[in-house]
Amino acid sequence: MIKQMRRYESWFGAGAGICIIIGLYMGLVTSPPDYYQGEVVRIMYVHVPFANVSLLGYTVLFAGSLWYLWKGNPIVDNMSHAAAGVSAFFTAGALATGSIWAKPTWNVWWTWDARLVSFTILLLILIGYLMLRTFIEDKDKEARFAAILAIMGFVDLPIVYFSVEWWRTLHQPLSVSPRGLSISGEMLIPLIMMAVGFYLLFLYMAMVRTQMLYLEQLREAKKGRLLSQAYL
Amino acid sequence: MKFFRVIRWIAWKDLASEIRSRENISSMFFFAFIVIMIFSFSFSMDLQAAKDLMPGIIWVAFGFTGIIGLGKSFWVELQNDCLENLQISPAPKGAIYLGKLISNLIFILIVELVLFPMFVIFFNLDVLDKVHLVLLIFLLGTLGFAAVGTLFSAMTVQVRAREVMLPILLLPMVVPVMIGAVEATRGALNGDPWVLYRHWLELLIVFDIVFTVVSFWAFEWILES
Repeated sequence: MIKQMRRYESWFGAGAGICIIIGLYMGLVTSPPDYYQGEVVRIMYVHVPFANVSLLGYTVLFAGSLWYLWKGNPIVDNMSHAAAGVSAFFTAGALATGSIWAKPTWNVWWTWDARLVSFTILLLILIGYLMLRTFIEDKDKEARFAAILAIMGFVDLPIVYFSVEWWRTLHQPLSVSPRGLSISGEMLIPLIMMAVGFYLLFLYMAMVRTQMLYLEQLREAKKGRLLSQAYL
Repeated sequence: MKFFRVIRWIAWKDLASEIRSRENISSMFFFAFIVIMIFSFSFSMDLQAAKDLMPGIIWVAFGFTGIIGLGKSFWVELQNDCLENLQISPAPKGAIYLGKLISNLIFILIVELVLFPMFVIFFNLDVLDKVHLVLLIFLLGTLGFAAVGTLFSAMTVQVRAREVMLPILLLPMVVPVMIGAVEATRGALNGDPWVLYRHWLELLIVFDIVFTVVSFWAFEWILES
């Protein structure tokens, strides 16, 4: 699996770069400004992909955690670990761009809206996940505990979302949802372009990170072997 | 049934050692008492403000106290290698979880039952006709809190920096419990009609069921040796 990643990762990276460059050009230059929000709406082209990819990342983390608990393959654990780190980055990006977008449109940097709170909780769970991993020495135990935590968090997020939605909500409804589109084609195409670019970027980053984690583990194992050879 | 016998023995063991040492409940109780004092210093409350803030204060105090109790729950098992013995024992792990959950639930509920009259006295709450509702909310909220907390306590006791990790992992996870319990308590204390806050109780019930089941299942991996 690591070998295949090394072979194909550059394709994903290049694809991400091309999609994001085209998407940025379309989003910033050719797409029209919004009727109500004006030029401000252009931040959507990064905000929505950020948010989208962070959810994808958490889904990958959840699937990887289940897979690890089922099969116990350490590379799958490296993949989950990588997905968590990259997903935390994208979640933070979604929160930051969202906050910037909120200031001109809602006139506040921050509000206690359902989606905002759920994303913050998501970020906190991911950071907790990454912290937990650094605090355990035993590799097998680390992987098991982290997987359990990721699964618990994944089950928790919808409940968090609904509870905060009942509490109070302000966020605009999704523009692209299974119930149909509420966005014009001229804006949709750059949005899709950017989303595809970000998906590829996520995959690329996750692949590179997985290899790093794998190599780190390999180095630890080799160091252990050398030490035991030296002292035995 | 062996399964239920394990649950009963684990819970009984915790309760018996608590009755003998009284360490856990007394430290939880005094901590919560100090939290209440700090709150009453931080906000200068008139009667109306007390009414508005009270549900939040109650649940913040309960949450912090619960973390202390939950942290101790598995920490005591580290002494004399009890945790290793639980790990290698042939008893079903789920039963160990449920036993621990029951004893944690009982500890936290006892502290809450002692604290609640103090809230009533200190902040002049008028609760006589709503006591049964408030107690129901306490039970549901605490169950959800303890269900996740018992699992995380077993997890964090096996890692470095365990005192820090338990609240860091637990508090984001129990956000729905906190919101639901605070809003339901507010409704009950204000004397609102039942339909206005019934959905919060339903949320708590859903959370309790989901997380008791998930934690019950996950405990197998936490206590694997």
